[in-house]
Amino acid sequence: MSILLRIHQWFSFLGSFASFGVAYFLQSIVVLVFVALSFIALIYIFRKYMARIQRRIGPNRVGKFGLLQLIADALKLVGKESILPEGRDDMAYKIAPVIVMIATILAFVLLPFGDLAYFGSLAVTHSKVTLVLMFGILSIIPIGEILGGISTKSNYALLGTMRAVAKDISFEIPMMISVLAIVIVSSRSYVTGDAITGGLSLSGIVSNEVIPYGIIEPLGLLVFFISMVARASYSPFDLGESDSELISGYTTEYSGMRFGFFYIGLFGMVYLSSFLISVLYLGGANGPYDNYVGFIYLMIKTIILVLISFLIWVAIPRIRIDKFVNLGWKYLLPLSMANLVYAGLFVLYIR
Amino acid sequence: MSHWIELNIGPVHPSTHGIYRFRVKLNEETVEDVDITIGYLHRNAEKICELNYFVNNTIYFDRMDYIDAMNMELGYLRAVEALTDMEVPERAQWIRMIMAELSRIAARMVGIGALGLDVGMLTPFFHTFHEREKIQKIFVEASGGRQEVNYMSIGGVYQDFNDKIIEEIREFISEFKGKLEEIVKMFTDSEIFWQRNVGTGILEPDIALDYGVTGPMLRASGIPYDVRKDSPYLFYDKVNFDVPIARTKDNMGRFLVKAEELRQSIRIIEQCLAKLPDGPYFNPKTKKSAMLLLKGQGDVFTRVESESGEFGVFIRGDGGVKPYRVHARSPSFKNLAVVPIMAKGSLIADLIITIASVDAVAGEVDR
Amino acid sequence: MVATVKEIKMPKKPVPVVGSLKLMYSMGKYMFKKPVTTQYPEDKGEIPERFRFRIFLVPEACVGCTLCSKICPNHSIKMEHWDLDRSGLENNVVQTARGDRKNLQNKRNIYPDVNFGTCTVCRQCEEICPTDAIYLTHQFENARTRNSFTYSPQELTMQEEDVIK
Repeated sequence: MSILLRIHQWFSFLGSFASFGVAYFLQSIVVLVFVALSFIALIYIFRKYMARIQRRIGPNRVGKFGLLQLIADALKLVGKESILPEGRDDMAYKIAPVIVMIATILAFVLLPFGDLAYFGSLAVTHSKVTLVLMFGILSIIPIGEILGGISTKSNYALLGTMRAVAKDISFEIPMMISVLAIVIVSSRSYVTGDAITGGLSLSGIVSNEVIPYGIIEPLGLLVFFISMVARASYSPFDLGESDSELISGYTTEYSGMRFGFFYIGLFGMVYLSSFLISVLYLGGANGPYDNYVGFIYLMIKTIILVLISFLIWVAIPRIRIDKFVNLGWKYLLPLSMANLVYAGLFVLYIR
Repeated sequence: MSHWIELNIGPVHPSTHGIYRFRVKLNEETVEDVDITIGYLHRNAEKICELNYFVNNTIYFDRMDYIDAMNMELGYLRAVEALTDMEVPERAQWIRMIMAELSRIAARMVGIGALGLDVGMLTPFFHTFHEREKIQKIFVEASGGRQEVNYMSIGGVYQDFNDKIIEEIREFISEFKGKLEEIVKMFTDSEIFWQRNVGTGILEPDIALDYGVTGPMLRASGIPYDVRKDSPYLFYDKVNFDVPIARTKDNMGRFLVKAEELRQSIRIIEQCLAKLPDGPYFNPKTKKSAMLLLKGQGDVFTRVESESGEFGVFIRGDGGVKPYRVHARSPSFKNLAVVPIMAKGSLIADLIITIASVDAVAGEVDR
Repeated sequence: MVATVKEIKMPKKPVPVVGSLKLMYSMGKYMFKKPVTTQYPEDKGEIPERFRFRIFLVPEACVGCTLCSKICPNHSIKMEHWDLDRSGLENNVVQTARGDRKNLQNKRNIYPDVNFGTCTVCRQCEEICPTDAIYLTHQFENARTRNSFTYSPQELTMQEEDVIK
């Protein structure tokens, strides 16, 4: 019995529709609060981790071990004056960070979080097309970035946006093709060879994924991982906000909490991409002892991926934009195509 | 017909290390023209030097190339000593040599770390700065100052080396050998660093000679010119070292030349420590109020090899206790002038790396 | 000529991906090493013997020769009038940093006045002082506002806590 049904039962005196509504609402809140808390922990881990790699100590003044540092930073961002650039496109300027923020939050609601002992399934969304929804939302985020870039009337932001668009176009096609390969592979159970449904929803993919798809199609994992690094835009592929050339790219003219939203979007994408990779390629909530602890398996996989991402972030230099476009079209696209053909042949084989 | 936008890099920008301004004419990502504006850190050092006694000006030279203070001092003091016919005891000269090479290592550490930041890798910067910190500890131990050391004085050095300092230098050198290879590996192991450095920012040797470019930039273009080799000062003719050159003419060549020079600096320091003689560390003519009474007449021009190239100092004395004219030939100023030529037609990302590979220090450019 | 020319050999070009993994390993291993930064107010570290900062004055030893104000490269030292009572000294002996001095007089009654805002701690005043009246110490924790960075001769004899009062 999932957590949703439990809440529904408690509120059953309201009637069927109303109690389901309340249950969805409450569960979304619970998941979002969990995500927000773990997200704060994530930024704290990032700062400590980066500091240790760079032989520093990291935040240690606010609270014990600097645990309250992020809250202090958030208060600072909220309290700062929001400087509005002259000659801006006012509405686009103001809604851009909100689009990034909301899209990031929405994406977390769609994730299948797996089972946890008493609570049962933690997944909020039970739609059959969460995969499609998820990548729909992921493609909303660039719109916010582009709006933010071109509305500020700054040359740095303009260049940053141009790069971000070039980057997005060149990696999103390989990303979608490698996701397509997942859908093909999960259309048939490789245990029995029967056709199965649920290939378009994330939870359906997870339930079919007895052997992680990363083992079946490592090429797809590579392409998807690189695409996700590019989507989250951290160090090797942070072309939109390459701080040594373009100061801060499309966020150059933002300050205060509006900048904070972009910042949350950046770290949220790191977190979300780690979730997505572990769901799609590493078996998600599946593990040796099934049921009951699936959520913990998912979190372990995600945190390991997050740590790897952060190590990439601090260690690897930034790639140049023309080289990245080359990489996207000349290497990632053929690789993902080959992966797609391979996935088709694999499905034919197991049938 | 081309559409271009003007991008204003600087005076305050993450990748202009110091304050100068590049007005870049961009065609999409391609650099069409670069216009350099300098003068934001102009402190009138040359004119102030005319108002002061000879002894006072050392700290003004400290503040020119503030990351390589010892070599700046050395350049000025060599000119003053030539003007006033001051003899420097042998021990003081060896000490000066050790300090000059240590300072060169410290300055290179900043340059290489900043190059890492500009390429987009954050971590090497902290490692190089930790090494620089060790050198600065040695400087504090010897002179009492970290950045504006004011260690060398006319006719000698401020205070003698004691056993503790020599021990610290030995310890640093033995640790640094391995650490340097590790830091260099951090750069050369990365294929993205290769992509961005090989073949970018090409400086042809004839253009370099036309513009008066010196230092690692000239050597990376294939011309083996080093003041330490071509007109040896101090005891550089008594130690063995190599002058590295590269024929690639690009940013990678410059980086590798700098890395190789660090290894040669270690070699020089080791030989200096072995040859360090006993004796006085200053010329007794320059103690107490005699410092104010130094007089000189005539013109002198001396040069030393600083971290960014040939640093020359011209002094004209009119027989008084203050110099009549002081002029510094600063290498960064000359090296910065070729940036527009090197960057023309490249991408803006390459322009940033080219600027970083010049290692220009604003204090020295503007004086 | 001992210096020889050496042409640089290009190092081996890294293999894609493998080079990056090596890079990640070489940086990631510092995760398990101790950080090297020090925490300043708690851990002040060791101050080297020759480190100098705050200027102090032994007023009884000052003879008002103005050499310090002449040699100061930044013109931070000015001479100021101060009527100091020197009658309390036993046998006219003054203790300075480098031994005792006898029979010192300051006929013009002028003493140095230091503007710390422009001082670069070049130590030349200490070096040139004929009677060792000016000396520099290890104290470096003095924060003043920009309008009150000038130390009068009286303040140069006091400790930092007394000056702030």
